Amino acid sequence: MASAEAMPLSARLKSWPMWMFMAIVTACLLAVGAGREAGPLTQQERIDVITKRLACPTCDGESVFVSQASAAVNIKNEVARQVASGQRNDEQIVAHIEERFGGRVLLVPRATGFDSLVWVLPVSVLVCSVAGLAAAFRRWRREQGLVPSDDDRAMVARLLAEEPEDHDEVPR
Amino acid sequence: MLGAAGIGGPIGRAFLLVGLVGALFGFVSCVMGMRQKDEKLLRLSLRFATLSAVSAVGAFMAMEYAMITRDFSLDYIQKVGSRSTPALYNFTAVWSALEGSILMWLLALALMTAWIAWRYRAKVTDPLVATALATMFVTAFFFFLLTIGPADPFAPGESGVTDGPGPNPLLQNHILVLFHPPILYIGYVGFTIPFAFAIGALVTGRLGEGWLLETRRWALFSWGFLTFGIVLGGWWSYEVLGWSGVWAWDPVENASLLPWITGTAYIHSVLVQERRGMLRVWNLSLLAATFSLTILGTFLTRSGILNSVHAFSESDIGPYLLTFFAIVVVVSLVLIGWRGDRLRSPGIIDSPMSREGAFLANNVLFSVFAFVVLLGTVFPLIVEALQNRQIVVGEPFFDSLATPIGIVMLFLMCIAPVLPWRKASTELLSQRLFWPAWCGVAALAVAVLLGATGLEPLLTFALGGFATGAALRQLVLATRRQKWRGLVGRANGGMIVHIGVIMISVALAASNSYTRSQELTLAKGVPASFGGHTFELKGFVEESDARRTSIKVDVSIDGGKSYRPAIHKFTSMGQNVGTPSVKSSWSKDIYLTLEPPVKPTSNEAKIKVFIKPMMTWMWAGGILMAIGTVLSAFPGRRRRPTDPVSAPVPTALTGTSP
Amino acid sequence: MNDQENLAVVNVAPVARSRRSSLIAAAVGVVVALFFVVLVVSSPEDRESAASPLLGNPAPAVKSTTLDDAQFELSRRRGSWVMFNFFNSTCVPCRQEHPELVAFHEAQASVATPTELYSIINDDSDNAVRAFFEANNGDWPKVRDDDGSIAVAFGVAKVPETWIIDPNGFVRMRFIGAVTRDLLTEKVTELQTAFEGM
Repeated sequence: MASAEAMPLSARLKSWPMWMFMAIVTACLLAVGAGREAGPLTQQERIDVITKRLACPTCDGESVFVSQASAAVNIKNEVARQVASGQRNDEQIVAHIEERFGGRVLLVPRATGFDSLVWVLPVSVLVCSVAGLAAAFRRWRREQGLVPSDDDRAMVARLLAEEPEDHDEVPR
Repeated sequence: MLGAAGIGGPIGRAFLLVGLVGALFGFVSCVMGMRQKDEKLLRLSLRFATLSAVSAVGAFMAMEYAMITRDFSLDYIQKVGSRSTPALYNFTAVWSALEGSILMWLLALALMTAWIAWRYRAKVTDPLVATALATMFVTAFFFFLLTIGPADPFAPGESGVTDGPGPNPLLQNHILVLFHPPILYIGYVGFTIPFAFAIGALVTGRLGEGWLLETRRWALFSWGFLTFGIVLGGWWSYEVLGWSGVWAWDPVENASLLPWITGTAYIHSVLVQERRGMLRVWNLSLLAATFSLTILGTFLTRSGILNSVHAFSESDIGPYLLTFFAIVVVVSLVLIGWRGDRLRSPGIIDSPMSREGAFLANNVLFSVFAFVVLLGTVFPLIVEALQNRQIVVGEPFFDSLATPIGIVMLFLMCIAPVLPWRKASTELLSQRLFWPAWCGVAALAVAVLLGATGLEPLLTFALGGFATGAALRQLVLATRRQKWRGLVGRANGGMIVHIGVIMISVALAASNSYTRSQELTLAKGVPASFGGHTFELKGFVEESDARRTSIKVDVSIDGGKSYRPAIHKFTSMGQNVGTPSVKSSWSKDIYLTLEPPVKPTSNEAKIKVFIKPMMTWMWAGGILMAIGTVLSAFPGRRRRPTDPVSAPVPTALTGTSP
Repeated sequence: MNDQENLAVVNVAPVARSRRSSLIAAAVGVVVALFFVVLVVSSPEDRESAASPLLGNPAPAVKSTTLDDAQFELSRRRGSWVMFNFFNSTCVPCRQEHPELVAFHEAQASVATPTELYSIINDDSDNAVRAFFEANNGDWPKVRDDDGSIAVAFGVAKVPETWIIDPNGFVRMRFIGAVTRDLLTEKVTELQTAFEGM
């Protein structure tokens, strides 16, 4: 890997131009796939989408879509009627149900006030732990102290190339 | 009949009392034996463990006996027993409500305690083992206490009752009720063992490397059962609940997921400890967290402060579990605070671009994931306590946070398997990742050609292909060198588990994003079509027995075989339970449910059709995970367990760290 | 002991005098303690609140049929006090409160401004409701709500619930859970006095 004079075909194949090519292909495929429309929803699918956002008022945590409780069935019927009449959009139907039953039928906590903590806390925990990890790596690098010479690096690279690949299974 | 009935109660109670005493004496013999360095006392603990286990088995059998003989003198049988329940569901009715489920927990725990006492009988003089055993005795004692106090399955009921309602209709509708709860419980309870050894390590202030190997094996054992139990639960939900989904982020489901997440983090990060001797305190903390979360989950779901489809009847078990949770947490934290620094190793991780770096990233992700699930589950309680206001946190919240976490996890699964320990160079990565990455591009291309849309599922497919490539690369290299042995051992078995996880992720992404659904009103003899398939109503089948009356409709799909979605009305509960009928193929499932009201006389039936892509992949992935777990439990070709994996820290080095 | 050697103990020397573990453990302890307090104060009791955005506002339109197949329309009841009782013949608190409702209904026959009582059937079959009323008395109209639209319009999730609507068609009061005759009489009197004062 280190010596460049007789690079085998496989190594040349895996050089950076091929990676660039791969990146371009991936980007194109993602653009094509993510950019196109998924097609219209059936009425039932619209009902499913809306009822997945509503909580069954008598069963903590379950959505109206999932629940078989009578309150959930009633709400499902109401959503079906609203969808069939075609006068309201999804947001309005959700708001209409919320107006009747109050905030406890919303499955997604609001992103305002105290409720926003449920969104903010996970993000801050992620940021803190990534920052902690970064700090740990910085400290480790400092503790390492010695800067490896070029010879060291070459040796490491050579040994790494020789190392059997299923690293956990060390041959006896 | 009257003579035989009624003896189950006193006998069961007697067994539980004996078990309680056995667990208590076992604990005392461990502790006193350690203090007085009395080998005889320590060896006695095996007897007490056996006594507890035999008592637990006896109590469980007494419960089964009472259930099978329909002994309605017991309160529990009055709640879940019924003369009309078929034998199988009557047998499983034992664990269909709170008291019985605690009894099953106890059974698993007592058997495991006895197994540990027997397995380590030669090493019981080691304080680490003795402390671990004492910890298991304490836990067993606590659960015996529950069954004698607030969750007494043998409590006498009102007199004169001759029949009961039977178990919840949902628990007498599918054979999986026989497998899902016991398997899940073995996984749940199994985490007591690694926790006990962690406590042993903390109390004695040392970690034998034998400890590491044993603990990892037990953690893997529990993890495997928990995983398989969760997958079976998803399958059960799919087959029984009729909303065509596998996971609803219900509090009980979250309670089983939480220890699974921290357990998964542990079985990864323990490899860093094994290889580099690092992360010792962190690994102990993960084990303590896993065990605490099983207790917390039990509290949340059994005390009635959160309800769910799995809801257990309310009882005053809550304060007991909460107290036990507090004890576990306080003891763990105090021990970690007291002993942690003594156990810490001063090693360093050279580079984030290394196997250990990837494991650290994995642990950060899993911790955040566990935090998200825990926060979402208890947030309504927090809001209620602080603001006296009700809110609900449900599926959309969990989905929107779990999806990005899952995608980053998939990305880690792409690169981590090819990373060497210590440090990787860019050339090395570009060599090793090249073909796996093209697998990802290929998967993406196939998905796009098949018409897939949406960024998140497409990323999942691409990274899924990439990660599968990385896992296969490892397996191919290993089998090339070691023949069939290249499939066993934790690294190789782990890769098979990875492929299973990837299949499940891909199946979840596809079925969550591309499910089509429609409600069809079918008239007899007039086919209706949806999603490229035709559905024709052939007729109605009505059945009834003492337990329930059922209406099934015969629906032929594409003019072929008939499928029979049904609605059962359970007489004793007055509850309607639908049973879906599913046509599966490797590419998609057609999932039919019968919608009420059903009027056979009208020759018309309303059915709901879900067309769900790739569901079969999910079950295949679950099976692959189970196979991979078993394979990784077999020792691969590796160093002897007693070889130190990291040299003891030279004293000179310790002085340099701040 | 040989056993000890088998475990191949690696005794790690304490790392300097760092107390990081204790600090982190203490911090985690504080968080868990706070969490613990939340769990302790959470009670498993019912946490229904009788607040409704409908209170003080016009009642939703209700149009259905009664068990006797008569038409029922709420807007035609203008001018009288109307009481809705959402119920189900299998629900335990509904059965418990039934005698109270019967007593309240009988007493209304002899007051100056009687309140009309209607039962709104929630998720129950006609036959079961008929049988229930035959066995337990109560000769007020029972209104069908087969598709649950009345329950949804009022935001009723769990029966029993009782609502009071004034002669102008405005929603005045909501009771969640079982009611008693005395409670109903007291509240109705209060509402009527306030209404006449307007």
